[in-house]
Amino acid sequence: MAESADFDAVVVGAGPAGSSAALALARAGRSVVMVERGPFPGSKNVYGGVVYGRVLDDIIPAWWSEVPVERWVVRRSTMMMTEDQSLAIDYRSHAWGVAPYNGMTTVRSHFDSWLAGKATEAGARLVTSTVATGLVRDGAGRVIGVRTDRDGAELHAPVVIACDGVNSLLAKEAGLLPHAEASHYTLGVKEVLDLPAEVINDRFGVRGHEGVDIEILGCTRGIPGGGFLYTNAETVSIGVVASLPHLSDAKVRPEELIADLKAHPSIAPLLRGATLREYAAHLIPEGGYDTMPPLATDGMLVAGDSAAMTLAAGLWLEGVNFAIGSGYAAGRAADRAVTAGDCSARGLASYRADLEQQFVLADHKRLRKAPALVLSERIQQRYPGLLCDLAEGMFTVTNPSPKAGGLRITRAAAAKHGVKLRELAADTLRGLRIFG
Amino acid sequence: MSMSHPVPTAPLVVACLRVTDLRPEVDLLTGSVRRDRLGVGLSAPDASALEHALRIAEAWSGRVLAVAAGPRSVETVLRDAVALGASVLRIPWDDDGSDHGFAAELAGDEQSLARAIGAALVPFGTPDLVVCGDRSVDRGTGALPAFLAHELHAAQALGLVALSPGAADGTSRRVLDAERRLDAGWREQLVVPLPAVCSVEGAGVRLRRAPLSGVLAAESAVIPTSALPPRPAAGTGRGTGPVLVGATRVFTPRTRVLPAPESPDPRIRLLALTGALVAHDPPTVVGPVGAAEAADALLDFLVRHGYLEEPPVAGSPTGAGDR
Repeated sequence: MAESADFDAVVVGAGPAGSSAALALARAGRSVVMVERGPFPGSKNVYGGVVYGRVLDDIIPAWWSEVPVERWVVRRSTMMMTEDQSLAIDYRSHAWGVAPYNGMTTVRSHFDSWLAGKATEAGARLVTSTVATGLVRDGAGRVIGVRTDRDGAELHAPVVIACDGVNSLLAKEAGLLPHAEASHYTLGVKEVLDLPAEVINDRFGVRGHEGVDIEILGCTRGIPGGGFLYTNAETVSIGVVASLPHLSDAKVRPEELIADLKAHPSIAPLLRGATLREYAAHLIPEGGYDTMPPLATDGMLVAGDSAAMTLAAGLWLEGVNFAIGSGYAAGRAADRAVTAGDCSARGLASYRADLEQQFVLADHKRLRKAPALVLSERIQQRYPGLLCDLAEGMFTVTNPSPKAGGLRITRAAAAKHGVKLRELAADTLRGLRIFG
Repeated sequence: MSMSHPVPTAPLVVACLRVTDLRPEVDLLTGSVRRDRLGVGLSAPDASALEHALRIAEAWSGRVLAVAAGPRSVETVLRDAVALGASVLRIPWDDDGSDHGFAAELAGDEQSLARAIGAALVPFGTPDLVVCGDRSVDRGTGALPAFLAHELHAAQALGLVALSPGAADGTSRRVLDAERRLDAGWREQLVVPLPAVCSVEGAGVRLRRAPLSGVLAAESAVIPTSALPPRPAAGTGRGTGPVLVGATRVFTPRTRVLPAPESPDPRIRLLALTGALVAHDPPTVVGPVGAAEAADALLDFLVRHGYLEEPPVAGSPTGAGDR
């Protein structure tokens, strides 16, 4: 018989969701072990985004004074582009550059290790370089632990919290995740490029630890998705996110999309002289609220990317904060269930109720129709060009011809891109309903 | 913490491990090295050394002691050894985490390190075998096993691709069978007497995975630390001690001002500038001398020709960093 060890809870994955779950359990005095497949927390993570830390305010007071940050984002730019045009809405806030801050760029291997360190300081155990290969069930079919790849040894607990990321094998084995539907996923690819800190500061108009977040629409050859550019301390992350089935159909390699973006006249000057440090790719669950699996079954909870809790809603592109929020809630729900002696799906139901009361499910529910709108054909393929042409029409001085009126320019741009004005109005109304 | 251990009679196999950042970042322009504590681990030769130590100790029903010199970050790797059932010992050794620390480590004083390791092993009894990774495969001077063998009065075999308990030769004396590469695909078979210090390549064996119970136990294990060894005083070793290496930086030779040649003939001035017809100093023959004296001679040459500053007086605070 395989050897085993007993805990109050087993958390699979030491990413933001897993570490937060373990932290909540350890603080409640529970014996909890995190199983991480990489050699250290964060070693397997690929991330090119901004981490919004407000969720940490109640979990780790003054977290900003110790978190391993690259830069605090003070400029947020949303850019629409065609092959040779770009139109950006650029927002800058001094308040985002001082405590308690808004968002930050960070290196996930550092951030995840830091957060996992909080959990272990609180008493959680951490086992690295170990894969949870499957679930252990009792005679009634309830999940009572996980099997590992260390000679099949098992970790037993009344609650298992699956935080093993997108395409969670444990959630699938538990019957929570259905057969993967490719349209619910995007592929994120990014390059990290070396640039001296002074050069980054000069080119992006920042100083010290200030950073920039640029989100881009219209840079993926019509494939539903988008691009991004983030400044780190001495590197920049640039990449694209592309709908999986459309990327496959387009027969385009993702690195070609990044090359296009890097060569764009609005981006190339920012990256001149930069050298490639790393390239990475990762699946992102962008299906939103309607594609989330059941969050609990007998003896098991799912959190973070495993539960498709990435918010990809155009204006808002967030994941780590949702992972932390859901993980911490899962840990608290597991503690309550263990205390009550009922770790069935019913006993763990407080997890979902808790998430509905906070941003994790509230935001997802409110923005449940956003992914379909953001990834729609008009938004992806027509509106970037329409808006760029509209700006060009407005700002191009046509002397000696008199200036054209705004409505005429709009009509001309809409006609050029095959958009009817009633479609424009309908999409505007749809957007207001979703985001308003 | 000072050590006080009983000395059991079971054979003692020591795995002498060099813990390092496996993925350091090197600035190609300045040569500065940035290390990350998250990247610490064992190189393939050191992992091979630990596996050999475990196998041989099993065959001898002996004990395994994994020793690593370095800062507290090496405890990560020592915990992995604990999970595999080995006893461990950390020897506090220099690493200030800076580029300078790394540069100094490359030409580090491995003789002093060998002395420190030898002294730290005393409470555990005389090792029958010390297995090291073949340092020169990845970095370092490769001199530690030799110095260690000297300290322990042991035989030394280096560059091994196979190491196993030897067949009994009719006596109760233990030996080791070893193999190492020769040119043209040949291999050399060795019979190594004990006690011995053997360094192995990262080939032939793969470090086993620890059982889950071992990993859980190791996570909270206290890693013993030997008493801090005495450090050689900086700047006192010239002529007899190791070469000290300063911080890495872009090398810019000092400008030398030469008087303009005095001749109305441009050709003569040109010849004077190039020195084409001027008799040169004959080559300087140094030696045969030891490595330290040769290094001193090179440094003196560079100082004499203006490429280095005059070294400060021995014992001054900046003595080590300037050379």
